[in-house]
Amino acid sequence: AVDKIRLIPQDFFAELCEQIIQHLNHKIPGINTAELCQRIQTSGVDINIGDLAKIANTLSFLFSTAARNNLSTEELVTTLGSGVSTLPKHAVQVIRHVWNEQGKAIAMSEDAGNMATVGQFVDMKWKLGVAMSSDTCRSLKYPYVTVTLTVADPSGQITDKSFEMTIPQFKNFFRQFKEMASVLETV
Amino acid sequence: MAALRAGDFAALQILLKAPSKDAVRQLCQECFSSPPAALGPLAQRACPGLAVSAQEAEQLVSALHNLTRHVVYRGLTRAEDILCLFPENFHQNLKNLLTKIILENISAWRSEAQASQISLPRLVDMDWRVDIKTSSDSIARMAVPTCLLQLKIQEDAALCGNNPVVSALTMELSKETLDTMLEGLGRIRDQLSAVANK
Repeated sequence: AVDKIRLIPQDFFAELCEQIIQHLNHKIPGINTAELCQRIQTSGVDINIGDLAKIANTLSFLFSTAARNNLSTEELVTTLGSGVSTLPKHAVQVIRHVWNEQGKAIAMSEDAGNMATVGQFVDMKWKLGVAMSSDTCRSLKYPYVTVTLTVADPSGQITDKSFEMTIPQFKNFFRQFKEMASVLETV
Repeated sequence: MAALRAGDFAALQILLKAPSKDAVRQLCQECFSSPPAALGPLAQRACPGLAVSAQEAEQLVSALHNLTRHVVYRGLTRAEDILCLFPENFHQNLKNLLTKIILENISAWRSEAQASQISLPRLVDMDWRVDIKTSSDSIARMAVPTCLLQLKIQEDAALCGNNPVVSALTMELSKETLDTMLEGLGRIRDQLSAVANK
């Protein structure tokens, strides 16, 4: 899949590297792989989200390892050259540029949030709806809540998960969160 | 979607051969709950109990399915409305029995229909715990409370048939992100109250 890097146009590749570095710097909650993939595909490039995700993971690992070992730009480029010899020139250029500008700033920082072994909750969007009619019941008037949770997985990639709840389920959901919050207060 | 057809009422009279009222009751429930694709096997199972031919069993099961689903679709709740679905010359006692059975089951059936209608994946379970992070490879000592949440989400039942796919979504929330969540949920609750008071 890393071969597919050659398919990604330079400006998109630069954007991907930017997002990865910003994520490692805790400036953004995650890397919006899905959205980026869609834009790359719209520009006519045939790449699927699985491949893009693998590339993002590889780059993220590369940058974080380089930060941990305090590599200078030249050291990083040399490592790249000796390892993945098939990296296209424009990709190496982008990596060199991004590392030069922002690489040193990656504090492998003293931050409790840095130990993601599970996904990190990022955001919640919701909708309250009433189902009026269906093929099984002509007159329903059935209220329900739809929720979309945005989660950044351990590698930093952002995914959305949507689901529905009945009103009693929602009330229980809310109650559980209030309980979690009150435990957090007292702990 | 179940529409009542001309031959359905004729087929329903096959129920006169049923061994007992309870047998009729049971068959009604099974015919309502069965999806159209499973009516064939249901007819085969019902056949011996009714002492009818395979073809008659199929017609009966199909007719009962259509009748029960039709009543739920139209939202009929009164005896008069159900009774007048039947044609003039339909067997009186059987008509009364069927109406009685339908009325007994109508609200459970309506709930069943609502639960199985198309929808986004549904939340089926939620587990959480609160941890305190005390130490890590980069920080020797700390006391950071954090929430771990696991949601079990079931994909649309209609798409999965008898093998619903349940996926688990696990995530961590800090105090800040938990507050974000609570704020959003509070707004939903306010909206619900506003709608309920209308």
